[in-house]
Amino acid sequence: MKRTAYILSMLLIAFTACKKDNYDGPTATLYGNIYDAGTKTLLEQDIIRGSVVEIKEHGWENVQPQWLIFKVDGAYENSLLFENSYSVAPVRGNFIPVEPQDVRIAGRTQLDFSVTPYIRIVNPSITRNGNIVTATFSLQQQVTNNVRKIGLYAHSDFRVGEPLRLTAAEQEINAVTDPAHVYTLTIDLQAPNIRDILKPGKTYYFRIGALIDATESKPNYAKAVAFDL
Amino acid sequence: MKTILLSAIVLIAMSCSKNGGSRGQEPPPPPPVKEIVYDETGCLYTAYDNLVMAGYQGWFAAEGDGSERGWYHLGLGSCGGFKPGCSAVDFYPDMTEYTQKYKTPFKYADGSDAYMYSPYDESTVDLHFKWMKDYGIDGVFMQRFVGEVKNTNPKGKRHFNKVLENALKAAKKYGRAICVMYDLSGCAPEDVAYLEQDWKELQTIFNLFDNKANPTYLRHNKKPLVVIWGVGFNDNRRYTTANVDALVDKLKGPEKRVSVMLGVPYYWRSMRNDTENNPGLHSLIRKCDIVMPWAVGRYSSGNYAQVAGVELAADIQWCKTNNVTYVPLAFPGFSWGNLKNDPAQYNSIPRLKGDFLWQQVAGAKISGARSLYVAMFDEIDEGTAIYKCAREGELPLHGDRRFIGLDPELASDYYLWLTGQAGRWFKGEGGFGTTKPVRP
Repeated sequence: MKRTAYILSMLLIAFTACKKDNYDGPTATLYGNIYDAGTKTLLEQDIIRGSVVEIKEHGWENVQPQWLIFKVDGAYENSLLFENSYSVAPVRGNFIPVEPQDVRIAGRTQLDFSVTPYIRIVNPSITRNGNIVTATFSLQQQVTNNVRKIGLYAHSDFRVGEPLRLTAAEQEINAVTDPAHVYTLTIDLQAPNIRDILKPGKTYYFRIGALIDATESKPNYAKAVAFDL
Repeated sequence: MKTILLSAIVLIAMSCSKNGGSRGQEPPPPPPVKEIVYDETGCLYTAYDNLVMAGYQGWFAAEGDGSERGWYHLGLGSCGGFKPGCSAVDFYPDMTEYTQKYKTPFKYADGSDAYMYSPYDESTVDLHFKWMKDYGIDGVFMQRFVGEVKNTNPKGKRHFNKVLENALKAAKKYGRAICVMYDLSGCAPEDVAYLEQDWKELQTIFNLFDNKANPTYLRHNKKPLVVIWGVGFNDNRRYTTANVDALVDKLKGPEKRVSVMLGVPYYWRSMRNDTENNPGLHSLIRKCDIVMPWAVGRYSSGNYAQVAGVELAADIQWCKTNNVTYVPLAFPGFSWGNLKNDPAQYNSIPRLKGDFLWQQVAGAKISGARSLYVAMFDEIDEGTAIYKCAREGELPLHGDRRFIGLDPELASDYYLWLTGQAGRWFKGEGGFGTTKPVRP
């Protein structure tokens, strides 16, 4: 009898405990876009190792941050968040760092960011003439750091960039750039090391990028352009 | 029993009604204090905007200048004063144009005597302000060390007041901007509070806020500007950010008598390295009008872009968001081998013939700064002076020490000229970029 009572008590405790500890599942969504504050256009990103949105839930000690990734066009969304207040900031990006802001995330919460990119790629043009793909552009850097390198990147996926590329024409700069200078980068589709990678009959995406020399910086991009080879 | 109850109820009701009645009789709240409005008619500098200004130490004295302070800030106590083999200064001024000068214990290689100026003399400060006008430097911030102007230091106070008097006169004569800049270094909390008293005294003595008496006194946000340098540093100062916060409240007052520029450590925004981790610093900055981070010694030419690039741009962004004006600092180089009694400290941040200064001018401009603070006009202890200095080969002998000269291929006025070019760029003139301008 004693034993039965014990088992029953334990079961009761166990069930009660389970019921008590069950929080509601994550029901909240945070979504939005990251814009260039100067041009009011979406700020292009990398899908892999790109800028992220760092969120820290309030009410916990030593809380671990969570990171939400941007899509290539600068949009982001995460629908598996707990309803609560958070500190939110886009970080480790291709823009001048911004201060975190406190946001109450409940239901579908929209939060857009307006930032200044490290580099604006001005008058970008990608053209194909026969076997030669040519990119021309100027750079308008918004910080005084050196521009580390520029590149023209190619991949069959529209999210082409860093590190998602089959081939690239890159140029080291390592200097503060002159906004009046027009840069030209080319990819020769018939070059021996490229013709086996970028194959005729398929569509490839080409995108111009430029990387500032700053801690944890990510490249800035112009929009990708597609060519059917 | 019933009677007691009834009485109680009546009492309560009466007291309620009394309360209600008395509310109507309360004195009306005092009218809001009206913000002070100054007459800015004829004022030449109504904002620290599109200006390139420098810090002016003015702390030197010469034996025989009447200040009774000896070779103040030129000599070094630890090695016996101002004499060959012992000095606080690394650079030596180009003495060609001074009309009042004092024979020093130093001699040139040809046996002739070396002379020094004193800013205690009106003619000397006049010459400095004439240079500012000649080279297009908008003006200066007059350094005022609180520890030097306390009543317990009458000679110090007399010295700094005389230099300020000279400077106000010259600023008016040459149309140069001028502003008082308090330095809290070495202060105790009670000294911070004393600043308010000194500031009141200055207003009375010099009629600082009068648009006719001092038409070039710098203003910002429609108020005369005062600078408080040295808040937020994590180097164990005796006064706190809260002390300075209380001081700013008193200086401004409910009628907002003045605008305040704060001199803060370089990493003030992220509160790391040289900055205390105290959100109170940000609250204080938000209630001030201008913030100027101290960059001297924080970088050299080699790592400037890495250190300052993102810092500058993010600082400017923070200030825009918080409606505070941002003024970055630029300095030509750094050298304090004699002051530190360490030859390894000679030219510790090389000037590179002006490349380093121009790198910072361009960096500030590219990052979106609208004005510049150049450290300093006449600082030869730390070798950041931009005024006319002697060149290598033209220096007095210095025993087993040495003075540091400007590069011999540059003219002694080169850094005045280069700072003037920065002034032209910040006023919107074209033709300037990251490449240092070439002097015709």
